[in-house]
Amino acid sequence: MSSPTSIAESLPEPLQARLQEALRQAGAHPEAAVCELLRLLQAAYGWIDDARLHLVASLCGISPVRVEELCTFYPLVLRQDPGRHVLRICDSVACHLAGARKLLAQAEAQSGVPPGESNGRYSILPHVCLGLCDRAPAALVDGHTVVAPLSAEALAAQLDAWEAEP
Amino acid sequence: MSERPLSLLFAHPDPADLAAYRAVGGYQGLQKALTMTAEELIALVEQSGLRGCGGAGFPTGVKWRLRGLDAPEPRYLVCNLDETEPGSFKDRALLFGAPQQILEGMLIAAHALGVREATLFVRGEYAAGAEIFARALQAAEAAGLLDLPAGPLRLDMHLSLGRYICGEDSAILNAIEGRRPNPRKKPPHIAQKGLWQQPTTVNNAETLAQLPGILRAGSETYRSWGVAGGVGSKLYSVCGPVQRPGVFELPMGTSLREILYVHGGGPLPGRQIRAVLPGGASTPFVLPKDFDTPMHFDAMAKIGSRLGTGGCIVLDDRHCPLDFLIATTRFYARESCGFCTPCREGLPFLLWLLEKIEAGEGEMRDLDNIETLGKEIAPNSFCALAPGALMPLLSGMVIFRDEIAAHVEQGRCPYGDRHG
Repeated sequence: MSSPTSIAESLPEPLQARLQEALRQAGAHPEAAVCELLRLLQAAYGWIDDARLHLVASLCGISPVRVEELCTFYPLVLRQDPGRHVLRICDSVACHLAGARKLLAQAEAQSGVPPGESNGRYSILPHVCLGLCDRAPAALVDGHTVVAPLSAEALAAQLDAWEAEP
Repeated sequence: MSERPLSLLFAHPDPADLAAYRAVGGYQGLQKALTMTAEELIALVEQSGLRGCGGAGFPTGVKWRLRGLDAPEPRYLVCNLDETEPGSFKDRALLFGAPQQILEGMLIAAHALGVREATLFVRGEYAAGAEIFARALQAAEAAGLLDLPAGPLRLDMHLSLGRYICGEDSAILNAIEGRRPNPRKKPPHIAQKGLWQQPTTVNNAETLAQLPGILRAGSETYRSWGVAGGVGSKLYSVCGPVQRPGVFELPMGTSLREILYVHGGGPLPGRQIRAVLPGGASTPFVLPKDFDTPMHFDAMAKIGSRLGTGGCIVLDDRHCPLDFLIATTRFYARESCGFCTPCREGLPFLLWLLEKIEAGEGEMRDLDNIETLGKEIAPNSFCALAPGALMPLLSGMVIFRDEIAAHVEQGRCPYGDRHG
Protein backbone atom coordinates (compact mmCIF):
# COMPACT_ATOMS: atom_id res chain seq x y z
CA MET A 1 0.00 0.00 0.00
CA SER A 2 1.23 3.48 -0.85
CA SER A 3 2.14 5.89 1.92
CA PRO A 4 -0.48 8.41 3.06
CA THR A 5 1.64 11.24 1.61
CA SER A 6 1.75 9.74 -1.86
CA ILE A 7 -1.98 8.99 -1.74
CA ALA A 8 -2.72 12.57 -0.73
CA GLU A 9 -0.64 13.84 -3.62
CA SER A 10 -2.45 11.59 -6.07
CA LEU A 11 -5.86 13.09 -5.24
CA PRO A 12 -7.36 15.65 -7.62
CA GLU A 13 -6.55 19.17 -6.52
CA PRO A 14 -10.12 20.32 -5.77
CA LEU A 15 -10.54 17.35 -3.42
CA GLN A 16 -7.18 18.06 -1.76
CA ALA A 17 -8.35 21.63 -1.23
CA ARG A 18 -11.62 20.48 0.36
CA LEU A 19 -9.77 18.13 2.71
CA GLN A 20 -7.44 20.93 3.72
CA GLU A 21 -10.40 23.27 4.28
CA ALA A 22 -12.02 20.69 6.60
CA LEU A 23 -8.76 20.44 8.56
CA ARG A 24 -8.47 24.22 8.71
CA GLN A 25 -12.02 24.43 10.11
CA ALA A 26 -11.09 21.90 12.79
CA GLY A 27 -8.26 24.21 13.88
CA ALA A 28 -6.43 22.98 16.95
CA HIS A 29 -8.31 19.66 16.91
CA PRO A 30 -7.61 17.98 13.55
CA GLU A 31 -9.19 14.75 14.81
CA ALA A 32 -12.53 16.56 14.85
CA ALA A 33 -12.38 16.61 11.04
CA VAL A 34 -12.42 12.83 10.74
CA CYS A 35 -16.12 12.52 9.82
CA GLU A 36 -15.88 15.29 7.25
CA LEU A 37 -12.77 13.79 5.65
CA LEU A 38 -14.45 10.39 5.43
CA ARG A 39 -17.50 11.99 3.87
CA LEU A 40 -15.48 13.90 1.27
CA LEU A 41 -13.42 10.86 0.27
CA GLN A 42 -16.47 8.63 0.10
CA ALA A 43 -18.34 11.22 -1.99
CA ALA A 44 -15.44 11.17 -4.44
CA TYR A 45 -14.74 7.42 -4.58
CA GLY A 46 -17.89 5.74 -3.30
CA TRP A 47 -16.24 4.01 -0.35
CA ILE A 48 -13.29 4.05 2.04
CA ASP A 49 -10.55 1.59 1.10
CA ASP A 50 -7.52 0.91 3.30
CA ALA A 51 -5.41 3.57 1.61
CA ARG A 52 -8.05 6.27 2.18
CA LEU A 53 -8.49 5.12 5.76
CA HIS A 54 -4.76 5.51 6.38
CA LEU A 55 -4.81 8.89 4.68
CA VAL A 56 -7.58 10.12 7.00
CA ALA A 57 -5.69 8.80 10.04
CA SER A 58 -2.54 10.57 8.94
CA LEU A 59 -4.29 13.88 8.21
CA CYS A 60 -6.14 13.80 11.57
CA GLY A 61 -3.10 12.69 13.53
CA ILE A 62 -4.89 9.66 14.98
CA SER A 63 -4.28 5.93 14.64
CA PRO A 64 -5.80 3.98 11.74
CA VAL A 65 -7.55 1.83 14.35
CA ARG A 66 -9.48 4.86 15.60
CA VAL A 67 -10.58 5.65 12.06
CA GLU A 68 -11.56 2.02 11.47
CA GLU A 69 -13.53 2.09 14.72
CA LEU A 70 -15.56 5.01 13.35
CA CYS A 71 -15.95 3.50 9.87
CA THR A 72 -17.43 0.34 11.30
CA PHE A 73 -19.59 2.32 13.72
CA TYR A 74 -21.23 4.72 11.28
CA PRO A 75 -23.69 3.23 8.78
CA LEU A 76 -23.15 5.98 6.22
CA VAL A 77 -19.48 5.01 5.82
CA LEU A 78 -18.78 2.04 3.55
CA ARG A 79 -15.66 -0.10 3.83
CA GLN A 80 -16.55 -2.23 0.79
CA ASP A 81 -17.07 -1.17 -2.80
CA PRO A 82 -20.87 -0.80 -3.12
CA GLY A 83 -20.82 -0.44 -6.89
CA ARG A 84 -21.88 2.77 -8.57
CA HIS A 85 -25.05 3.34 -6.53
CA VAL A 86 -26.41 2.73 -3.05
CA LEU A 87 -30.09 2.46 -2.23
CA ARG A 88 -30.93 2.57 1.47
CA ILE A 89 -34.41 1.33 2.30
CA CYS A 90 -35.70 2.33 5.75
CA ASP A 91 -36.98 -0.65 7.72
CA SER A 92 -37.82 1.10 11.01
CA VAL A 93 -41.28 1.21 12.52
CA ALA A 94 -43.43 3.31 10.13
CA CYS A 95 -41.69 1.92 7.05
CA HIS A 96 -41.94 -1.61 8.42
CA LEU A 97 -45.71 -1.10 8.84
CA ALA A 98 -45.83 0.23 5.27
CA GLY A 99 -44.17 -2.81 3.71
CA ALA A 100 -40.40 -2.21 3.85
CA ARG A 101 -39.79 -5.93 4.28
CA LYS A 102 -41.47 -6.68 0.94
CA LEU A 103 -39.44 -3.98 -0.79
CA LEU A 104 -36.19 -5.39 0.59
CA ALA A 105 -37.19 -8.88 -0.57
CA GLN A 106 -38.06 -7.51 -4.00
CA ALA A 107 -34.72 -5.69 -4.20
CA GLU A 108 -32.87 -8.84 -3.20
CA ALA A 109 -34.67 -10.86 -5.89
CA GLN A 110 -33.95 -8.31 -8.61
CA SER A 111 -30.37 -7.52 -7.63
CA GLY A 112 -29.48 -11.18 -7.18
CA VAL A 113 -27.56 -10.54 -3.96
CA PRO A 114 -28.64 -10.13 -0.32
CA PRO A 115 -29.00 -6.66 1.21
CA GLY A 116 -25.58 -5.34 2.16
CA GLU A 117 -23.78 -6.94 -0.78
CA SER A 118 -22.98 -5.36 -4.13
CA ASN A 119 -23.98 -7.04 -7.37
CA GLY A 120 -21.17 -5.14 -9.04
CA ARG A 121 -23.42 -2.28 -10.13
CA TYR A 122 -25.21 -1.26 -6.95
CA SER A 123 -25.96 -2.18 -3.34
CA ILE A 124 -29.22 -2.25 -1.42
CA LEU A 125 -28.92 -1.59 2.30
CA PRO A 126 -31.58 -1.74 5.00
CA HIS A 127 -31.28 1.48 7.00
CA VAL A 128 -32.61 2.71 10.33
CA CYS A 129 -35.27 5.39 10.49
CA LEU A 130 -34.62 8.01 7.81
CA GLY A 131 -36.94 10.51 9.54
CA LEU A 132 -39.42 10.19 6.67
CA CYS A 133 -42.07 8.30 8.64
CA ASP A 134 -44.85 10.45 7.16
CA ARG A 135 -43.85 9.30 3.68
CA ALA A 136 -43.27 5.62 4.41
CA PRO A 137 -41.92 3.43 3.00
CA ALA A 138 -38.92 5.67 2.45
CA ALA A 139 -35.57 5.29 0.73
CA LEU A 140 -32.41 7.32 0.29
CA VAL A 141 -30.54 7.18 -3.03
CA ASP A 142 -26.75 7.65 -3.05
CA GLY A 143 -26.82 9.14 0.45
CA HIS A 144 -28.64 12.26 -0.62
CA THR A 145 -31.82 11.98 -2.67
CA VAL A 146 -35.05 10.98 -0.95
CA VAL A 147 -37.54 8.69 -2.67
CA ALA A 148 -40.64 8.46 -0.50
CA PRO A 149 -42.96 6.76 -0.60
CA LEU A 150 -41.06 4.12 -2.57
CA SER A 151 -43.48 1.98 -4.58
CA ALA A 152 -42.69 -1.51 -5.85
CA GLU A 153 -42.86 -0.14 -9.40
CA ALA A 154 -40.50 2.75 -8.68
CA LEU A 155 -38.05 0.36 -7.02
CA ALA A 156 -38.06 -1.97 -10.03
CA ALA A 157 -37.63 0.97 -12.41
CA GLN A 158 -34.72 2.39 -10.40
CA LEU A 159 -32.86 -0.91 -10.38
CA ASP A 160 -33.61 -1.43 -14.11
CA ALA A 161 -32.13 2.00 -14.80
CA TRP A 162 -28.97 1.21 -12.86
CA GLU A 163 -28.62 -2.14 -14.60
CA ALA A 164 -28.93 -0.41 -17.99
CA GLU A 165 -26.15 2.10 -17.24
CA PRO A 166 -23.16 1.62 -19.54
CA MET B 1 -47.89 37.90 16.51
CA SER B 2 -48.49 34.40 15.27
CA GLU B 3 -49.45 31.76 17.78
CA ARG B 4 -47.85 29.23 15.43
CA PRO B 5 -44.35 30.69 15.29
CA LEU B 6 -42.45 27.54 14.29
CA SER B 7 -44.06 26.75 10.96
CA LEU B 8 -44.31 30.24 9.45
CA LEU B 9 -42.21 29.35 6.42
CA PHE B 10 -42.87 25.61 6.13
CA ALA B 11 -44.78 26.18 2.87
CA HIS B 12 -42.41 28.88 1.53
CA PRO B 13 -40.48 27.99 -1.64
CA ASP B 14 -37.18 29.08 -0.05
CA PRO B 15 -37.28 29.05 3.76
CA ALA B 16 -33.54 29.88 3.87
CA ASP B 17 -34.31 33.29 2.36
CA LEU B 18 -33.43 35.98 4.89
CA ALA B 19 -35.85 38.61 3.54
CA ALA B 20 -38.72 36.11 3.65
CA TYR B 21 -37.90 35.24 7.25
CA ARG B 22 -37.62 38.89 8.23
CA ALA B 23 -40.99 39.57 6.60
CA VAL B 24 -42.66 37.23 9.13
CA GLY B 25 -40.89 38.80 12.11
CA GLY B 26 -37.61 36.92 11.85
CA TYR B 27 -34.66 38.23 13.88
CA GLN B 28 -36.91 40.58 15.92
CA GLY B 29 -36.47 38.11 18.78
CA LEU B 30 -32.69 38.34 18.52
CA GLN B 31 -32.89 42.12 18.34
CA LYS B 32 -34.84 42.15 21.58
CA ALA B 33 -32.51 39.61 23.18
CA LEU B 34 -29.52 41.83 22.46
CA THR B 35 -31.07 44.54 24.66
CA MET B 36 -31.27 42.11 27.60
CA THR B 37 -28.67 40.80 30.03
CA ALA B 38 -27.88 37.10 30.31
CA GLU B 39 -29.68 36.96 33.65
CA GLU B 40 -32.79 38.59 32.18
CA LEU B 41 -32.80 36.17 29.27
CA ILE B 42 -32.46 33.09 31.45
CA ALA B 43 -35.22 34.38 33.72
CA LEU B 44 -37.45 34.96 30.68
CA VAL B 45 -36.89 31.41 29.41
CA GLU B 46 -37.60 30.05 32.91
CA GLN B 47 -40.83 32.06 33.09
CA SER B 48 -41.90 30.86 29.65
CA GLY B 49 -42.04 27.28 30.92
CA LEU B 50 -40.07 26.06 27.90
CA ARG B 51 -38.98 22.44 28.29
CA GLY B 52 -36.61 20.45 26.09
CA CYS B 53 -38.32 19.27 22.91
CA GLY B 54 -35.81 16.47 22.20
CA GLY B 55 -37.74 14.02 24.34
CA ALA B 56 -36.64 14.40 27.95
CA GLY B 57 -38.52 17.63 28.67
CA PHE B 58 -35.95 19.13 31.03
CA PRO B 59 -36.72 22.82 31.74
CA THR B 60 -34.52 24.83 29.37
CA GLY B 61 -34.02 27.79 31.71
CA VAL B 62 -32.89 25.48 34.50
CA LYS B 63 -30.45 23.73 32.15
CA TRP B 64 -28.97 27.10 31.21
CA ARG B 65 -28.75 28.23 34.84
CA LEU B 66 -27.02 24.99 35.84
CA ARG B 67 -24.21 25.81 33.43
CA GLY B 68 -23.64 28.99 35.40
CA LEU B 69 -23.14 32.51 34.11
CA ASP B 70 -19.55 32.55 35.30
CA ALA B 71 -18.53 29.20 33.78
CA PRO B 72 -14.92 29.29 32.52
CA GLU B 73 -14.33 30.10 28.84
CA PRO B 74 -14.44 28.80 26.22
CA ARG B 75 -18.03 27.64 26.59
CA TYR B 76 -19.85 25.77 23.88
CA LEU B 77 -23.38 25.47 22.56
CA VAL B 78 -24.52 22.44 20.57
CA CYS B 79 -27.81 22.41 18.70
CA ASN B 80 -28.94 18.80 18.55
CA LEU B 81 -30.53 17.90 15.22
CA ASP B 82 -29.64 14.23 15.27
CA GLU B 83 -33.28 13.12 15.39
CA THR B 84 -33.13 9.41 14.61
CA GLU B 85 -35.87 7.96 16.77
CA PRO B 86 -38.55 6.21 14.70
CA GLY B 87 -41.71 8.29 14.50
CA SER B 88 -39.86 11.58 15.13
CA PHE B 89 -39.43 13.88 12.14
CA LYS B 90 -40.34 17.33 13.46
CA ASP B 91 -36.72 18.52 13.46
CA ARG B 92 -36.50 17.53 9.79
CA ALA B 93 -39.46 19.88 9.19
CA LEU B 94 -37.55 22.66 10.97
CA LEU B 95 -34.25 22.06 9.16
CA PHE B 96 -35.89 22.05 5.75
CA GLY B 97 -38.60 24.60 6.56
CA ALA B 98 -37.23 26.97 9.21
CA PRO B 99 -33.42 27.06 8.99
CA GLN B 100 -33.25 30.80 9.77
CA GLN B 101 -35.33 30.20 12.89
CA ILE B 102 -32.97 27.47 14.16
CA LEU B 103 -30.13 29.90 13.55
CA GLU B 104 -31.89 32.79 15.30
CA GLY B 105 -32.55 30.49 18.26
CA MET B 106 -28.88 29.51 18.38
CA LEU B 107 -27.86 33.18 18.34
CA ILE B 108 -30.25 34.04 21.19
CA ALA B 109 -28.95 31.08 23.23
CA ALA B 110 -25.34 31.98 22.45
CA HIS B 111 -25.95 35.52 23.68
CA ALA B 112 -27.68 34.31 26.86
CA LEU B 113 -24.96 31.76 27.60
CA GLY B 114 -21.97 33.91 26.65
CA VAL B 115 -20.90 31.40 24.01
CA ARG B 116 -18.56 32.25 21.14
CA GLU B 117 -18.50 28.85 19.46
CA ALA B 118 -21.56 26.85 18.54
CA THR B 119 -22.16 23.69 16.54
CA LEU B 120 -25.24 22.55 14.70
CA PHE B 121 -25.17 18.75 14.75
CA VAL B 122 -27.17 17.36 11.82
CA ARG B 123 -27.78 13.67 11.19
CA GLY B 124 -26.12 12.53 7.96
CA GLU B 125 -29.38 11.35 6.45
CA TYR B 126 -30.53 15.01 6.39
CA ALA B 127 -27.61 16.07 4.15
CA ALA B 128 -29.96 17.92 1.78
CA GLY B 129 -31.31 19.92 4.73
CA ALA B 130 -27.78 20.74 5.85
CA GLU B 131 -27.27 22.42 2.48
CA ILE B 132 -30.38 24.55 3.08
CA PHE B 133 -29.06 25.54 6.50
CA ALA B 134 -25.66 26.40 5.01
CA ARG B 135 -27.38 28.87 2.67
CA ALA B 136 -29.35 30.36 5.55
CA LEU B 137 -26.15 30.74 7.55
CA GLN B 138 -24.32 32.39 4.67
CA ALA B 139 -27.09 34.97 4.24
CA ALA B 140 -27.27 35.72 7.96
CA GLU B 141 -23.50 36.02 8.23
CA ALA B 142 -23.37 38.43 5.29
CA ALA B 143 -26.04 40.53 7.01
CA GLY B 144 -23.87 40.74 10.13
CA LEU B 145 -26.35 38.81 12.29
CA LEU B 146 -23.64 36.63 13.81
CA ASP B 147 -21.91 39.67 15.28
CA LEU B 148 -22.99 39.42 18.91
CA PRO B 149 -21.94 41.98 21.52
CA ALA B 150 -19.31 39.58 22.92
CA GLY B 151 -17.85 39.16 19.42
CA PRO B 152 -18.74 37.22 16.29
CA LEU B 153 -20.26 33.80 16.91
CA ARG B 154 -18.31 31.00 15.27
CA LEU B 155 -20.93 28.55 14.02
CA ASP B 156 -19.89 25.19 12.58
CA MET B 157 -22.09 22.49 11.19
CA HIS B 158 -21.26 18.86 11.97
CA LEU B 159 -22.89 16.61 9.40
CA SER B 160 -22.90 13.22 11.09
CA LEU B 161 -22.73 9.75 9.57
CA GLY B 162 -25.64 7.97 11.25
CA ARG B 163 -26.48 6.14 14.52
CA TYR B 164 -29.21 6.96 17.03
CA ILE B 165 -26.82 7.18 19.99
CA CYS B 166 -25.29 10.39 18.60
CA GLY B 167 -28.36 12.27 19.88
CA GLU B 168 -27.48 11.44 23.49
CA ASP B 169 -26.14 14.66 24.98
CA SER B 170 -22.67 13.38 25.88
CA ALA B 171 -22.28 10.95 22.95
CA ILE B 172 -22.91 13.90 20.64
CA LEU B 173 -19.83 15.60 22.11
CA ASN B 174 -17.65 12.55 21.48
CA ALA B 175 -18.98 12.49 17.91
CA ILE B 176 -18.02 16.14 17.36
CA GLU B 177 -14.57 15.47 18.83
CA GLY B 178 -14.02 12.68 16.30
CA ARG B 179 -14.28 9.91 18.89
CA ARG B 180 -16.53 6.86 18.92
CA PRO B 181 -19.84 8.30 20.13
CA ASN B 182 -20.23 6.39 23.38
CA PRO B 183 -22.19 8.14 26.11
CA ARG B 184 -19.92 9.60 28.79
CA LYS B 185 -19.96 8.82 32.47
CA LYS B 186 -21.62 11.57 34.53
CA PRO B 187 -20.53 13.31 36.67
CA PRO B 188 -18.87 15.46 35.59
CA HIS B 189 -21.96 16.84 33.92
CA ILE B 190 -21.45 18.29 30.44
CA ALA B 191 -22.49 21.70 31.82
CA GLN B 192 -19.15 21.64 33.67
CA LYS B 193 -17.00 19.44 31.42
CA GLY B 194 -18.50 18.92 28.00
CA LEU B 195 -17.05 19.54 24.55
CA TRP B 196 -13.25 19.50 24.82
CA GLN B 197 -13.81 19.27 28.61
CA GLN B 198 -15.26 22.78 28.66
CA PRO B 199 -18.71 23.97 29.89
CA THR B 200 -21.26 22.96 27.27
CA THR B 201 -24.98 23.31 26.70
CA VAL B 202 -26.78 20.92 24.36
CA ASN B 203 -30.28 21.91 23.25
CA ASN B 204 -32.63 20.26 20.78
CA ALA B 205 -33.30 22.15 17.51
CA GLU B 206 -37.00 22.69 18.24
CA THR B 207 -36.19 23.95 21.74
CA LEU B 208 -33.90 26.60 20.27
CA ALA B 209 -36.36 27.43 17.47
CA GLN B 210 -38.92 28.26 20.20
CA LEU B 211 -36.73 31.11 21.51
CA PRO B 212 -37.51 33.74 18.84
CA GLY B 213 -41.24 33.34 19.54
CA ILE B 214 -40.72 33.62 23.29
CA LEU B 215 -38.64 36.79 22.85
CA ARG B 216 -41.13 38.41 20.48
CA ALA B 217 -44.25 37.54 22.48
CA GLY B 218 -42.94 37.64 26.04
CA SER B 219 -43.24 34.77 28.45
CA GLU B 220 -46.89 35.36 29.44
CA THR B 221 -48.21 35.49 25.89
CA TYR B 222 -46.04 32.52 24.89
CA ARG B 223 -47.49 30.46 27.73
CA SER B 224 -51.02 31.44 26.71
CA TRP B 225 -50.55 29.79 23.32
CA GLY B 226 -50.84 26.42 25.05
CA VAL B 227 -54.14 24.81 26.03
CA ALA B 228 -55.36 22.45 28.75
CA GLY B 229 -52.33 23.04 30.95
CA GLY B 230 -49.75 23.02 28.14
CA VAL B 231 -47.53 26.03 27.46
CA GLY B 232 -46.57 27.52 24.11
CA SER B 233 -46.65 26.02 20.66
CA LYS B 234 -45.47 22.53 19.70
CA LEU B 235 -44.65 20.52 16.62
CA TYR B 236 -46.54 17.24 16.76
CA SER B 237 -46.35 14.53 14.14
CA VAL B 238 -48.36 11.48 13.17
CA CYS B 239 -47.23 8.46 11.18
CA GLY B 240 -48.28 4.89 10.57
CA PRO B 241 -51.62 3.86 9.05
CA VAL B 242 -53.51 7.17 9.14
CA GLN B 243 -55.03 9.21 6.34
CA ARG B 244 -52.84 12.32 6.58
CA PRO B 245 -49.48 11.58 8.20
CA GLY B 246 -47.37 14.69 8.74
CA VAL B 247 -46.04 17.41 11.06
CA PHE B 248 -48.53 19.81 12.65
CA GLU B 249 -47.83 22.90 14.73
CA LEU B 250 -50.52 23.09 17.42
CA PRO B 251 -51.03 24.54 20.87
CA MET B 252 -49.11 22.47 23.41
CA GLY B 253 -51.75 20.49 25.24
CA THR B 254 -53.88 19.66 22.19
CA SER B 255 -55.52 16.31 22.87
CA LEU B 256 -54.05 13.15 21.42
CA ARG B 257 -57.47 12.48 19.87
CA GLU B 258 -57.47 15.79 17.97
CA ILE B 259 -53.90 15.22 16.78
CA LEU B 260 -54.69 11.72 15.51
CA TYR B 261 -58.20 12.15 14.14
CA VAL B 262 -58.44 15.80 13.04
CA HIS B 263 -54.90 16.62 11.94
CA GLY B 264 -53.71 13.09 11.13
CA GLY B 265 -57.05 12.36 9.45
CA GLY B 266 -57.83 9.28 11.56
CA PRO B 267 -57.38 5.62 10.62
CA LEU B 268 -57.44 4.27 7.08
CA PRO B 269 -60.93 3.38 5.81
CA GLY B 270 -62.45 0.39 7.55
CA ARG B 271 -59.81 0.25 10.28
CA GLN B 272 -59.58 1.30 13.93
CA ILE B 273 -56.68 2.78 15.87
CA ARG B 274 -55.75 0.28 18.57
CA ALA B 275 -52.93 2.05 20.35
CA VAL B 276 -50.35 4.80 19.84
CA LEU B 277 -46.77 5.45 20.82
CA PRO B 278 -47.32 9.17 21.47
CA GLY B 279 -43.80 10.56 21.56
CA GLY B 280 -41.57 8.51 19.30
CA ALA B 281 -40.56 4.85 19.58
CA SER B 282 -39.24 5.18 23.14
CA THR B 283 -42.57 5.94 24.83
CA PRO B 284 -45.13 3.53 26.32
CA PHE B 285 -48.36 2.80 24.42
CA VAL B 286 -51.47 4.91 24.97
CA LEU B 287 -54.85 3.21 24.47
CA PRO B 288 -58.01 4.86 23.02
CA LYS B 289 -59.53 5.28 26.49
CA ASP B 290 -56.82 7.89 27.14
CA PHE B 291 -56.93 9.68 23.77
CA ASP B 292 -58.56 12.76 25.32
CA THR B 293 -55.41 13.40 27.36
CA PRO B 294 -53.72 16.73 26.57
CA MET B 295 -50.38 16.12 24.85
CA HIS B 296 -48.09 17.87 27.29
CA PHE B 297 -45.40 16.56 29.59
CA ASP B 298 -47.34 16.33 32.88
CA ALA B 299 -50.60 14.99 31.47
CA MET B 300 -48.83 12.25 29.50
CA ALA B 301 -46.78 11.28 32.55
CA LYS B 302 -50.00 11.05 34.58
CA ILE B 303 -51.39 8.32 32.28
CA GLY B 304 -48.11 6.38 32.44
CA SER B 305 -46.68 7.44 29.12
CA ARG B 306 -44.44 10.28 27.93
CA LEU B 307 -44.74 13.28 25.60
CA GLY B 308 -41.25 12.45 24.28
CA THR B 309 -40.81 14.16 20.91
CA GLY B 310 -44.55 14.43 20.24
CA GLY B 311 -44.15 12.02 17.32
CA CYS B 312 -47.14 9.65 17.30
CA ILE B 313 -46.82 6.18 15.77
CA VAL B 314 -50.16 4.50 15.19
CA LEU B 315 -50.91 0.80 15.51
CA ASP B 316 -54.24 -0.15 13.92
CA ASP B 317 -56.39 -3.26 14.17
CA ARG B 318 -55.01 -4.68 10.93
CA HIS B 319 -51.43 -5.10 12.07
CA CYS B 320 -50.11 -7.73 14.46
CA PRO B 321 -48.97 -5.96 17.67
CA LEU B 322 -46.17 -8.49 18.10
CA ASP B 323 -44.81 -7.57 14.69
CA PHE B 324 -44.98 -3.89 15.69
CA LEU B 325 -42.97 -4.67 18.85
CA ILE B 326 -40.43 -6.55 16.73
CA ALA B 327 -39.98 -3.45 14.58
CA THR B 328 -39.32 -1.17 17.55
CA THR B 329 -37.05 -3.69 19.29
CA ARG B 330 -35.06 -4.39 16.11
CA PHE B 331 -34.35 -0.67 15.78
CA TYR B 332 -32.94 -0.47 19.30
CA ALA B 333 -31.05 -3.76 19.09
CA ARG B 334 -29.33 -2.54 15.93
CA GLU B 335 -28.73 0.97 17.23
CA SER B 336 -27.28 -0.03 20.59
CA CYS B 337 -23.84 1.57 20.60
CA GLY B 338 -22.42 -1.60 22.12
CA PHE B 339 -20.67 0.17 24.97
CA CYS B 340 -22.54 -1.50 27.85
CA THR B 341 -23.35 -5.19 28.04
CA PRO B 342 -27.02 -5.20 29.17
CA CYS B 343 -28.04 -3.13 26.15
CA ARG B 344 -25.65 -4.69 23.59
CA GLU B 345 -26.47 -8.31 24.52
CA GLY B 346 -29.90 -7.93 26.07
CA LEU B 347 -31.75 -6.15 23.27
CA PRO B 348 -30.77 -8.66 20.53
CA PHE B 349 -31.76 -11.50 22.86
CA LEU B 350 -35.18 -9.90 23.40
CA LEU B 351 -35.51 -9.53 19.63
CA TRP B 352 -34.62 -13.20 19.16
CA LEU B 353 -37.32 -14.23 21.65
CA LEU B 354 -39.93 -12.02 19.94
CA GLU B 355 -39.08 -13.39 16.49
CA LYS B 356 -39.18 -16.93 17.81
CA ILE B 357 -42.72 -16.32 19.09
CA GLU B 358 -43.77 -14.66 15.83
CA ALA B 359 -42.48 -17.68 13.89
CA GLY B 360 -44.78 -19.90 15.97
CA GLU B 361 -41.88 -21.54 17.79
CA GLY B 362 -42.31 -19.78 21.13
CA GLU B 363 -43.15 -21.20 24.51
CA MET B 364 -45.28 -19.54 27.18
CA ARG B 365 -42.24 -19.06 29.40
CA ASP B 366 -40.68 -16.86 26.66
CA LEU B 367 -43.31 -14.23 27.44
CA ASP B 368 -42.30 -14.17 31.08
CA ASN B 369 -38.62 -14.19 30.17
CA ILE B 370 -39.10 -11.13 27.97
CA GLU B 371 -40.69 -9.21 30.83
CA THR B 372 -38.14 -10.37 33.42
CA LEU B 373 -35.15 -9.62 31.20
CA GLY B 374 -36.65 -6.33 30.05
CA LYS B 375 -37.01 -5.13 33.62
CA GLU B 376 -33.38 -6.11 34.33
CA ILE B 377 -31.88 -4.35 31.30
CA ALA B 378 -33.26 -0.85 31.92
CA PRO B 379 -31.81 -0.12 35.38
CA ASN B 380 -28.50 -1.81 34.57
CA SER B 381 -27.66 -0.07 31.31
CA PHE B 382 -25.39 2.94 30.97
CA CYS B 383 -27.57 5.53 29.21
CA ALA B 384 -31.24 6.23 28.45
CA LEU B 385 -31.28 4.29 25.15
CA ALA B 386 -32.11 0.87 26.60
CA PRO B 387 -34.75 2.14 29.05
CA GLY B 388 -36.33 3.93 26.08
CA ALA B 389 -36.23 0.74 24.03
CA LEU B 390 -38.08 -1.12 26.74
CA MET B 391 -40.94 1.34 27.21
CA PRO B 392 -42.97 0.24 24.16
CA LEU B 393 -41.94 -3.38 24.61
CA LEU B 394 -42.85 -3.77 28.27
CA SER B 395 -46.10 -1.81 27.96
CA GLY B 396 -46.95 -3.80 24.81
CA MET B 397 -46.26 -7.13 26.53
CA VAL B 398 -48.94 -6.24 29.09
CA ILE B 399 -51.52 -4.70 26.73
CA PHE B 400 -51.23 -7.32 24.00
CA ARG B 401 -50.35 -10.31 26.15
CA ASP B 402 -53.31 -12.42 25.01
CA GLU B 403 -52.52 -11.92 21.35
CA ILE B 404 -48.83 -12.61 21.84
CA ALA B 405 -49.75 -15.75 23.76
CA ALA B 406 -52.03 -16.75 20.86
CA HIS B 407 -48.91 -17.04 18.66
CA VAL B 408 -47.60 -19.66 21.08
CA GLU B 409 -50.92 -21.49 21.39
CA GLN B 410 -51.63 -21.55 17.66
CA GLY B 411 -48.03 -22.03 16.58
CA ARG B 412 -48.40 -19.22 14.05
CA CYS B 413 -49.26 -15.53 13.78
CA PRO B 414 -53.03 -15.14 14.19
CA TYR B 415 -52.88 -12.19 11.79
CA GLY B 416 -51.57 -14.49 9.03
CA ASP B 417 -50.31 -12.51 6.06
CA ARG B 418 -52.49 -9.47 6.80
CA HIS B 419 -49.46 -7.51 8.02
CA GLY B 420 -49.31 -3.99 6.78
